[in-house]
Amino acid sequence: MATTENSIAEILDANVNLFLFFSDILGRPVIAADGSPIGRLADLKVKLGEPFPRVSSLAVRKRRRKGLWELDWRQVQDLNSRAVGLKPDAELGFRPLEVKNDEILLRDELLDKQVVDTFGAKIERVNDVHLLIVKQDLRLVHIDFGIRGILRRLGWLRALDAATNWLFAYQIGEKMISWKYIQPLLSDLVRGSLKLNVTSRKIHEIHPSDLADIIEELDTLNRSSVFRALDLQTAAQTLEEVEDPKLQVALIESAPVDRASDILEEMAPDEATDLLADLPEEKARHLMRTMEKPSREVIEELLQFKEGTAGSLMTTDFFAVGMDQTIGEAIEEFRKTTYPLESVAYVYVTDKDGRLVGVSTLRHLVICERDIPLRKLMNPRLVSVTPEDDADTVKDLFKKYKFLAVPVVDEERRLAGIITLKDIMQERFEE
Amino acid sequence: MADNILNAEPVRKRTRWKGLLLFLAVAGPGIITSNVDNDAGGIATYSMAGAHFGTNLLWSLIPIMVALIIIQEMSARMGVVTGKGLSDLIRERFGVKITVSLLFALVLTNFGNVIAEFAGVASSLEIFHVPKYLSVPFAAAVVWLLVVKGNYRSVEKIFLWACVFYVTYIVAGFLAKPDWPAIGHTLIAPSFKLSSESLGMIIGLVGTTIAPWMQFYLQASVVEKNIALKDYRLSRLDVIVGSFVVTIVAGFIVLTCAATLFKAGIRVETAADAALALAPLAGKYCAALFAFGLLNASLFAASILPLSTAFVVCEGMGWEAGVNKKFSEAPQFYGLYSVLIFFGAAVILIPGIPLFPVMYISQVLNGLLLPVILIFMLLLINNKRLMGSYTGKRGYNIVSWTTVGVLVVLSVVYLGSLLGI
Repeated sequence: MATTENSIAEILDANVNLFLFFSDILGRPVIAADGSPIGRLADLKVKLGEPFPRVSSLAVRKRRRKGLWELDWRQVQDLNSRAVGLKPDAELGFRPLEVKNDEILLRDELLDKQVVDTFGAKIERVNDVHLLIVKQDLRLVHIDFGIRGILRRLGWLRALDAATNWLFAYQIGEKMISWKYIQPLLSDLVRGSLKLNVTSRKIHEIHPSDLADIIEELDTLNRSSVFRALDLQTAAQTLEEVEDPKLQVALIESAPVDRASDILEEMAPDEATDLLADLPEEKARHLMRTMEKPSREVIEELLQFKEGTAGSLMTTDFFAVGMDQTIGEAIEEFRKTTYPLESVAYVYVTDKDGRLVGVSTLRHLVICERDIPLRKLMNPRLVSVTPEDDADTVKDLFKKYKFLAVPVVDEERRLAGIITLKDIMQERFEE
Repeated sequence: MADNILNAEPVRKRTRWKGLLLFLAVAGPGIITSNVDNDAGGIATYSMAGAHFGTNLLWSLIPIMVALIIIQEMSARMGVVTGKGLSDLIRERFGVKITVSLLFALVLTNFGNVIAEFAGVASSLEIFHVPKYLSVPFAAAVVWLLVVKGNYRSVEKIFLWACVFYVTYIVAGFLAKPDWPAIGHTLIAPSFKLSSESLGMIIGLVGTTIAPWMQFYLQASVVEKNIALKDYRLSRLDVIVGSFVVTIVAGFIVLTCAATLFKAGIRVETAADAALALAPLAGKYCAALFAFGLLNASLFAASILPLSTAFVVCEGMGWEAGVNKKFSEAPQFYGLYSVLIFFGAAVILIPGIPLFPVMYISQVLNGLLLPVILIFMLLLINNKRLMGSYTGKRGYNIVSWTTVGVLVVLSVVYLGSLLGI
């Protein structure tokens, strides 16, 4: 966990001066050099890009003026929990507030909002923001998620600490996370895309299962913007992990057509087929037309099968070699397979007409002599199903033989696809 | 899986069925929220309206229904457009201080309501000679287990089935053999002879029909259903159907009591009173149906109120929440949920506790909180940054501001009358 301690260590050599909480200075009076009041501190603007980014300017609500006024942070002379003191002539630098896409407003876009904690892979709500004064700069270092943040803002923290100390010799712990693990989310419809915390652990480094959980928990707006921020492969894996078919449909519909069809191509063909079948017909047809030919043909074929049959469960991602090839050739071919196979449990062996004649495992390929032809190595005893077989029959086979995958063959015994244990388990969970 | 989506076969014929299926997939939040609204307190108020004023106040249910639709439509719209719950939006727009005070008030109010629901369970089963020391702990355990051991989909299904049991009131209404032509007449040409007493009753009807917790619950369950923006009109239909059904049920309660108790000049204060008084006048079946309806309504509301409260609080505070989480993942959620149920039930078990003041206090708290919540809702729904092009249209805004205005005035007057000012 990114605790306060280890981040402090990272900053120590930068001359630590003072930590302070955003809530302690928010709303404080802003005072000119001559002591005359100007307004109140309404917000702080941070320029993203560094691990612990700098506050670039402050937003002030001026007395008897509408809107927020921006002033460079360099114009601040003195900062304490009572007031923000400005340098002489600072008032000339005030201009209407403007926020670019690589800048973020702490109060407007961060405080009380939800963010993704890429370290813990979950969504948290920001209760306070922890800042650090280093030399002349104010830097954003931590986000406070804890109950202390809430109590501090309510003004109850000191009283409660005193009470718990007196009663139990105990103090509620801080719960803070370093900024480098934080990805801010959108707070309203007006802003189009996520402001990426470029130095953060990338959002697509989160495991697709966790990403799916995060996306399920987010609101509509952020779902599509987070989904848009993912690369094709992560997006495809995440989409496979999303459990609610309605949500899968909503996500794929939120993406532009080109990207949507690219994502579908990256997905396992059986998953992509299920998703396409849930889409409105018009949209599905449109997406399929945009897809590359090989993926499209596979999916078109899979779409023929009725729900509840072996055909609807199977994937066409499998590894098959001819029976007259040698093990060395088979291994070479396996190396050249660039797309990720859903299951590499078995290597299927076919005759020259593509009929399934035997099965072997990757382990056998690796440990045997390279010049033996596969016909000598393979196990010709095969259990297979046809695409029309009932899904329950397939389940029983898995139960009985404890297979990791079962081949699906057509009436001429040509290999059409395989059903993996994962597919069967998913089917069972959905029940 | 669809047969083959590439077959461009005409689908026109199927669209009506598809529309119905789609509606069933979206429906639920509105219907459930409205029906929970007919809880122990609601049934008591409708019974009193019928017993004390006959069918004279029946007409007032129609404007109340319209107000209910307008308010709930706002919740559903905010839920669909923002995908966030009401407490979430309040936290993001108005900060910690306002959120914490509002949630505190909501927890207090809903705790009062939970107690009132368990009082309903106790009194309805006492009619069937089940002592409260047996019925209330049992009901609390059932309600608690339902959520802790279930998942949202199954829980929602159970809730939808519970709505069906409100039919008992309609059956009871027919058993009471009301004077149908006279009822038709009062609906077409309602009498507006308003005494201060009947005005008080109307305000009571409004107060019990539109409660603060409903807005939170409705919006949260719309969000939970992941309803797409293009299906929003179905969500609105859900709200309209729900409000319509609830009004029909309320109407039947009023006319059951009007046809029997009002004619005999019997005054009642609670729903259980009404059920007891019905037996000699309308037959024991009618009374039993009435009591069973009360039990169903109380149990129903006793499961939803604590659930919704815990959910709303956790959402606003940023704690994990949801019936799909484990206890260790969402300790605050389950903690608050359990505390509300067990303490709510425990209060009823205090020997000799008078139930009427308990219900009364919960109504006062509801009345205090409602205007505040409604104003926050109006501020949020007209926020362009949140709602984009889905902020209210001008004409519609005038209607909703007026409705909220009237409701605020009525609930303040209601509060005044409850407090005896």
